Amino acid sequence: MSRNVTRRVAVTALASGAVFLIRKAHGQVVWQVNASRCVNSRLGEVGVEACNLCTSSCVVALSAVRAVNEYSKCGRCNICPAYFNIASAVDEKGLPSEKLCPRDAIARKPIGKQDPEDPANNFYEYVIDEEKCDGCGRCVMKCKEPLGLGSITLQVRYNRCLNCNRCAISTDCPKDALEQVPLPEALKPGEARPTV
Amino acid sequence: MLARSPIAVLVLLLLLPWQALAQAIEYSRPVETAPQADTIGGGYKTPEVQRPLPRDYWLQVFDVVLLAAAMGVSAWLVLKRRSRRWLMGLAIFSLAYFGFYREGCVCPVGSIQNVTVALTDPRYSIPIVVVATFFLPLFVAMFFGRAFCGGVCALGAMQEMVVLKPVKVPRRIDRALGLLKYVYLLLAILFALKPAIARDFVICRFDPFVGFFRGTGAPHMLMIGAVFLVGGMFIGRPYCRYLCPYGALLNWCTRLARRGVSITPHRELDCGLCNDACPYGAIEKMRAVRKDCLYCARCYASCPNEGERARARESLVTVGGGAK
Amino acid sequence: MIRNLVRVSAGVIAALSLLLLIDWAVAAVRQPKDDKLVKAMQETVKKDASLAPKLAAEQKRITGYRLSRKRRDTWAANGLIAAAIVFLVFARRNLPRHVPAAPQRASRRGAAGQPHACRRQSEASAQEVDVGFVDEAVARLGRHREAAVPLVQAIQTHYRYLPDEALRRLCEITDITPAQIAGTSSFYGQFRRSPVGEHIVKVCHGTACHVAGARQITEELRRYLAIPEDQDTDAARQFTLEEVACLGCCSLAPVLMVDQHTAGRLTPNTAPEALRPFDKEPA
Repeated sequence: MSRNVTRRVAVTALASGAVFLIRKAHGQVVWQVNASRCVNSRLGEVGVEACNLCTSSCVVALSAVRAVNEYSKCGRCNICPAYFNIASAVDEKGLPSEKLCPRDAIARKPIGKQDPEDPANNFYEYVIDEEKCDGCGRCVMKCKEPLGLGSITLQVRYNRCLNCNRCAISTDCPKDALEQVPLPEALKPGEARPTV
Repeated sequence: MLARSPIAVLVLLLLLPWQALAQAIEYSRPVETAPQADTIGGGYKTPEVQRPLPRDYWLQVFDVVLLAAAMGVSAWLVLKRRSRRWLMGLAIFSLAYFGFYREGCVCPVGSIQNVTVALTDPRYSIPIVVVATFFLPLFVAMFFGRAFCGGVCALGAMQEMVVLKPVKVPRRIDRALGLLKYVYLLLAILFALKPAIARDFVICRFDPFVGFFRGTGAPHMLMIGAVFLVGGMFIGRPYCRYLCPYGALLNWCTRLARRGVSITPHRELDCGLCNDACPYGAIEKMRAVRKDCLYCARCYASCPNEGERARARESLVTVGGGAK
Repeated sequence: MIRNLVRVSAGVIAALSLLLLIDWAVAAVRQPKDDKLVKAMQETVKKDASLAPKLAAEQKRITGYRLSRKRRDTWAANGLIAAAIVFLVFARRNLPRHVPAAPQRASRRGAAGQPHACRRQSEASAQEVDVGFVDEAVARLGRHREAAVPLVQAIQTHYRYLPDEALRRLCEITDITPAQIAGTSSFYGQFRRSPVGEHIVKVCHGTACHVAGARQITEELRRYLAIPEDQDTDAARQFTLEEVACLGCCSLAPVLMVDQHTAGRLTPNTAPEALRPFDKEPA
């Protein structure tokens, strides 16, 4: 008999706890890289090694963080500092001989009207192959002021992210660039579209 | 864009004189702003940036519904049907779905920390799905015992599968080791109570099996997981019995349970087969100890009067007839 | 067969775990080395463009190695899971059953396993009995007079009866006297002095069966098996006839049991039929 009473009390206590939590609960929260904090993308950090903690700390193989090129912000240059290692020697075509990406994940393709006489003034599209990218951040580091326009940033890819309670990268990140935000906020930069 | 500003040119000049020669080009195209489709021409269209979405919300709700349904089935199979075979089927399903497919997240064990944080930190937003995942098994435990542990928990199912030749842990050692889970629960809560920067989710970080579910993880955690599994062949479900912090909460809730696994006094034979069959030390003096019972239904499976064995025997009895 | 499967899967598990461990160790050593190499090459490429393809090739090799390691490890992990499943399933089947499956097991053993063994034994006992077991049992149970009953029991279980040679040997090496053995073995119903047949036929002589003609059934079987008045086993040592109290199925009276198999509602005509399935040489 007394057990019944105790149970009733306990169930009520638990239920009120649950109701209290549900009232303040959100739909969904996700991890997001704050570009203005990330060493690789924030302005002013030039001439330092790119930080690759997103690659080495993530629990997902090859990391859930990938470099993403926001095409509408891309300068589409002939010599992209994120594509070429502009410190390497120049080859016979006048282009730097070495690519920056250690995994060769960026593809370069001429677009629009082409003028064969004046390659420097043509437009090029840089597409990042997410299967190869591991978010090492080198291209992000180069694609920002003063050389680039900052179109490439590191972003958490939600189809890969396991949404850990405490993101393993965030425990290591020196600038606390990873933060947990409600999903709608995380998707603000553009329209949300599920990947194919 | 390379020669975007005089400073940039200067930097480049200083860094790499010969390159600047090759790049000292008069740009007729825009370089200071991103060229858009109409400037580029040639029928070019700016491709859309892919923004992969996380798992659909309704699928997450579906997971919670599935969790509730699986617990219901688990309770029915054990308490009503008394069938270990079907319970193993449910455990295999749970291991496949909650474990390998959902990769061990979200689980009630880890949700302890989220709930703790949400209760103490007003700025922390907790998803409703997590709240539901935390409370459902506790409610079920208050009425039916640890139905979650038996056929639903992926961590438990993984260990349930590897039990090979369990030894009886002496009761005193069993009790002493059992206290570890309260220590672990306390630690987990303490670490979750820290301010946001220093907060740590130890249960998730030191989860020994999640690495197997994800097929990736820190090598030392994978090795600890392997040790738990190999040890689990001879000591039944070591993580559940001695470390699981959620087990501690379920333990408390189960004390109030209305029903649970029981060795029925008027049906029993005093043969002790169930006692020998229980690898978890949850049968004491021929009575099931509900707070320790992990709902594996082995006692029913071994009972000559209950469950499959009895049903099988009933169908076997034939009278008369010689040997053929 | 199952034992082999268990061994093979255990071997596969060990091999794959070793592979994963070695792979991890090799990668842990290689990674810093590769990074250093690439950095050094990058320095040289700054001066000499012709070295660029070499660097690109090197980076391609490193990326290829890392990707292939990931693929290999995934395969190994999946293989590990599969091997673990095989191991667990078959190892469990191979284990001695914790709970004995009483009725089926006993009958299977009686019908299939032991007859050949005991047949050989009974043939042997006709000529000579190997008394080695007696020494063994004495070493185990002691040589004092108090050990007489356990010793005689052990001999009974081993030979299925009490051979004279064994009892003689027992008197030789212990303090037990022949008189004591004679007393013990004749007092308890569980001991028998003559070899037992391959199958034990228990004819029920409970009240219901007695009324239904158990006596006639026994007579008929004695006649059919040609068992003399003072014995209970036929010459071929095929059947031993026993008269027992109620078998607990009076509704089938008269009834008999051959080993674990019950036959009921017998008549003197049908009783030999019940033995026929067990008979080696069909009558």
